[in-house]
Amino acid sequence: MMTEETTAQAAPQQYSQREKIAFIIGIAGWLLPGLGHALLKMWGRAVACFLLVGLLVFFGAGMRGNLFSSNGNDAFDSLGYLADLGTGTFYLLARTLEKSGPDVSHAGGDYGTRFLATAGVLNLLAALHAYEAARGRKA
Amino acid sequence: MIGGAGFKLSHLQAMLLFALFVSMAFGFLSRRQPVERFKYIVWSLLLFLLVGVGIGWAMYPFSR
Repeated sequence: MMTEETTAQAAPQQYSQREKIAFIIGIAGWLLPGLGHALLKMWGRAVACFLLVGLLVFFGAGMRGNLFSSNGNDAFDSLGYLADLGTGTFYLLARTLEKSGPDVSHAGGDYGTRFLATAGVLNLLAALHAYEAARGRKA
Repeated sequence: MIGGAGFKLSHLQAMLLFALFVSMAFGFLSRRQPVERFKYIVWSLLLFLLVGVGIGWAMYPFSR
């Protein structure tokens, strides 16, 4: 009887602990693309996330896409900023790569903007995937 | 770090790169087995290109 009560008390604690770890893994995956999966030892997914998000950022910055900042003028700028922030630390990398600033006067710059935003959204998706996997959901 | 002019890609090249990267990301995140992953990536890439080119042609009458 005593053992059953102890087990019943321990279960929510274990669940809470697991949730905390999953949250940390999700945040890690957001900050550095692929890190969340790497912490879960999902090496293939970790490398793929790191490389694909990195390549999208590299090409997006190379095509001189618009990297939105926090002082946007309208809702689209704010949404773009949120999407760009999704790349985590790669946002800063994109800023470093894009020495000459954005140039959306040609199609390449517009494509670059989409590349950068997609990199952010994909990384958020990957971080959410790592979070769910850490919670024990099928992934 | 990247030169002032940046990369010069055509519309098709940019679309191909975009479709390839996104298809690969979807494939790696949604499938576990390598064969299933590969099939998913190829299928997703083809659909991206088909829809992209299809929308391009659908807009053609309004382009002038």
